[in-house]
Amino acid sequence: MSFNIAVCIKPVPDPSHYDKITIHPVNKTITREGIPTIINPVDKNAIEAALQVKEKWGGKVTVITMAPPSAEENLREALAMGADEAVLLTDRAFAGADTWATSYTLAQGLKKIGHFDLIFTGTESADGATSQVPAQLAQWLKIAHLWNVQQFKITNKEELQAQMKIENGYIEYALKLPALLAVSRECNKPRYTTIMGVMKAKKKPLITYTADDLDLNKDFIGLKGSPTQPGDIYTPELGRKGQELTGEVEEIVAQLIQKLRAAGLNLESWNACAVGRE
Amino acid sequence: MNLKDYQGIWVIAEQMAGCLNSVSFELLGKAQELKKQLQTPEPVTAVLVGKDVEELAPELGAYGAEEIIVVDHPGLELYQNQTYAEVLADLIKEKKPSILLMGATGIGQDLAPILGVKVNTGVAAHCVDLRINQDNNLVAVVPAFGGKVLGDILCPKHRPQMATLKPGVLGKPERNNQAHYTITKYDPAESLKKDAGRVKALGIYRQEVKGVPLEEAEIVVAGGWGMGSKENWQLLEELASLLGGAVGCTRPPVDEKWVEGEHQMIGTSGKTVRPKVYIGAAISGATHHVCGMKDSGLVISINKDPKAPIFEVSDIRIVGDAKTILSKLIEEIKKIRGNVN
Amino acid sequence: MQFFQFTEEQEMLRKAVREFVEAEIAPKAAEWDEKDYCPVELFPKMGEMGITGIFVPEQYGGAGLGHVERAICLEEISRHSAGLGIALMTHHLCVAGILYYGTEEQKQKYLPELAAGTKIGGLSVTEPGGGSDFMGQKSTGELKDGYWVLNGRKCFITNSHVADIDIWTVITGQDEKGRPVMTAFIIDPDTPGHTPGRKEHKLGLRGSVTGDVNCVEVKVAPGQMLGKEGAGAKIAMTTIQEVGRAGMSAINVGILRGCVEEGVKFANERIVYGKPIAKLQAIQFDIAETRLEYEAARLLTYRAAGMKDAGIPCATEFAMAKLYATEAACRAAKRIMDMMGGYGIINEYPIGRFLRDALASIPAGGTSHIQKLIIAGSTLSGK
Repeated sequence: MSFNIAVCIKPVPDPSHYDKITIHPVNKTITREGIPTIINPVDKNAIEAALQVKEKWGGKVTVITMAPPSAEENLREALAMGADEAVLLTDRAFAGADTWATSYTLAQGLKKIGHFDLIFTGTESADGATSQVPAQLAQWLKIAHLWNVQQFKITNKEELQAQMKIENGYIEYALKLPALLAVSRECNKPRYTTIMGVMKAKKKPLITYTADDLDLNKDFIGLKGSPTQPGDIYTPELGRKGQELTGEVEEIVAQLIQKLRAAGLNLESWNACAVGRE
Repeated sequence: MNLKDYQGIWVIAEQMAGCLNSVSFELLGKAQELKKQLQTPEPVTAVLVGKDVEELAPELGAYGAEEIIVVDHPGLELYQNQTYAEVLADLIKEKKPSILLMGATGIGQDLAPILGVKVNTGVAAHCVDLRINQDNNLVAVVPAFGGKVLGDILCPKHRPQMATLKPGVLGKPERNNQAHYTITKYDPAESLKKDAGRVKALGIYRQEVKGVPLEEAEIVVAGGWGMGSKENWQLLEELASLLGGAVGCTRPPVDEKWVEGEHQMIGTSGKTVRPKVYIGAAISGATHHVCGMKDSGLVISINKDPKAPIFEVSDIRIVGDAKTILSKLIEEIKKIRGNVN
Repeated sequence: MQFFQFTEEQEMLRKAVREFVEAEIAPKAAEWDEKDYCPVELFPKMGEMGITGIFVPEQYGGAGLGHVERAICLEEISRHSAGLGIALMTHHLCVAGILYYGTEEQKQKYLPELAAGTKIGGLSVTEPGGGSDFMGQKSTGELKDGYWVLNGRKCFITNSHVADIDIWTVITGQDEKGRPVMTAFIIDPDTPGHTPGRKEHKLGLRGSVTGDVNCVEVKVAPGQMLGKEGAGAKIAMTTIQEVGRAGMSAINVGILRGCVEEGVKFANERIVYGKPIAKLQAIQFDIAETRLEYEAARLLTYRAAGMKDAGIPCATEFAMAKLYATEAACRAAKRIMDMMGGYGIINEYPIGRFLRDALASIPAGGTSHIQKLIIAGSTLSGK
């Protein structure tokens, strides 16, 4: 029994440098100068998941991305980790795609390469963090999928079981293959890229496809094909305002709770009662 | 697609095991605000999907739903993405809402993008705010790069305009026990037939959130020497556990053995943290600590000394006794929890 | 003239090693230094990475690369732990001895485990009466009943207490002119009579073990001889010159980079009179000098390593690289320490460790004076 496995990765600006990201005052574009582009961190968990399946059951791992040509370096790193083949979908026409158009393009790319039993992605990207591409990709491919997978087990060639993380718990599912799993960081610990891996990577195939190579509806790709359109971008008021909370303890705490809420903290804990069945 | 055919603001309510997720109330509050901003007000509708869930409908009414569409079926007991998506996609295609909101929860973040492809529309993910612009379109405010940048996302040519909203950002609206609402039942039987059964839920399980690693925590509660005792230190532990965060410290609490080992230390000789919220209690703010936390999102500092250097890098300053403030804060958060449960 | 540049693979390799080092070595380096603990458990992990056998051909289980790649590994490791750096670099001395002078049988017997890091290597040459005075060594080897019997005491030996496979140089006789004949032997793990002795308490490069190794009536089979009888001096000299000094150079390039990076971090973070000290010109001068020293040491080291890989004699080049890199690392660490004021002498910051490690690097592989003699010697003779 062996599996044909695909892993979708995304090159992202290294999250540890996000404090350097600024908005160009005139062009209103995001400036990310001097920030290295790396494989989206949780996508390495996806690569690891694929490699583990291959090592246990046999098969082949193809890593794919839709990105600018510079992504070759990130694909090489995935090959160095142990993937067998890499595919780069790159074209100016793909630029500006939202998750809808991105997932469509990836789906057409995967169809071009062949049939896959299993597709892995990370749960979300560090930059946009929409976490929508995995579910949408599965929709285009009309296959089963799970998002936020913290653990999975292949039962046989036709089926797998997986746990989807939710607030304060998880739901366990059985999925029919072919299936797509978007894995979370808890799923595994990505292996290190070894020196031997680096040396092998240069001999592995890395194929580039442009829009013309794929069977695409041109109205579905890039910014033009995206249902969502970007408007203004701006930097949130992060400057330390240094506001002082004053008054009696009760008043101070009441204001503090407002501030915590405004910062996105969920102080209500519906979860405590939500997950009842064991 | 004739955009004019699409009318109304929908909120997909999220429930699990007979309990509504409070993000549903937040969404209803926002939906009511959006309604006021529209050129012509459109009705706010909640959609409630599950098994034996009808009794939850009045609660949605009390928080702003004018109509509640109840989709009750034994086949909808546990969340299954394909099953739920078939049902909701059919419902959307039939009733044509103009705006559709969901919580950016574990389930919402999975379901919304599927619907986006199924009904051929865009989804703005994990928004922090929503508004209607002069063209009568929905504008979703979406964070990127870990919150460093905010962007407006529009969906001008497709309907419904979908968005998932981060839980807890907006706060719950006032409850109105006298609210008027109608309940409509929707039979999903036909939609359920389309589900190929490729994804089957086997069960739902509770999982304790084990201590979040300090570097990964979204909320860090840090304390310094001024906490005074190991006993007082427990307040930090309690607050962190209530908020699902991690406890950090400066050097003295390690030396005083209030915390074990150095792994919780923040600063040049310890860890660097970038949580969304940092609460510093009784920390003076020496450089070597500040270096490890200065890139945090919201920095809240509590210190007796109004001249403490930590205040220079804080968004919120509280001059006072950390023990008193923290005790009261813990008490209040417990009260909020009590009201919901 | 070709522009000095690493290949794409070398850059990828550096990145891979850096990720490993940042996860497995950086967080523990200070603790190893404080406890003077040699993290032997990391050798198999470095083996999986390909680091321990970086220049061992693939047929013997290595990565099949060269000395430039080795220098990259040592630089990356020593950026955070020069102590582990020297333990690894000494391991490589043993590997190099066997790889370059061993028989096919010896290579097959020893290299796979050394490359995998499941066995740690050592090279025992220095004696109380003979370090740089190479032929002043007193240890002996005598052929008795078909076995070589070794006796002697070696001192200042890195990996003395952790090495499984140890190469020894001993005097096995005199030539016709009465000069000592030196021969090298490979000593297997747990060979009776071969034991570590006194353990030194060092100023720096802690986290590597340095001490005595004794041989008392140690019997080794003739097949354990490395190279021919009398080849010991050449084996030890070339290994130390072209592998040992290369290692010490790369280790100190790592320390220098540590000085640059820690200096920059501190200068940007330390606020005095309302602004980071990085805005002060005096501080900028410190940063500039440190950067320059790092770059210069790097160029010297990698050029020499490139020559080694190209098969060009490079003893003088490594002497220059070693001299410059170690002395520059001492200056840079002291400079950045001064720049940090009180923080500089607090052990929570690594800069003090960098200074101690740089100082302790001076005697390893020949002191600065010895390097100058080598450089002067070849320069005066017109080489």
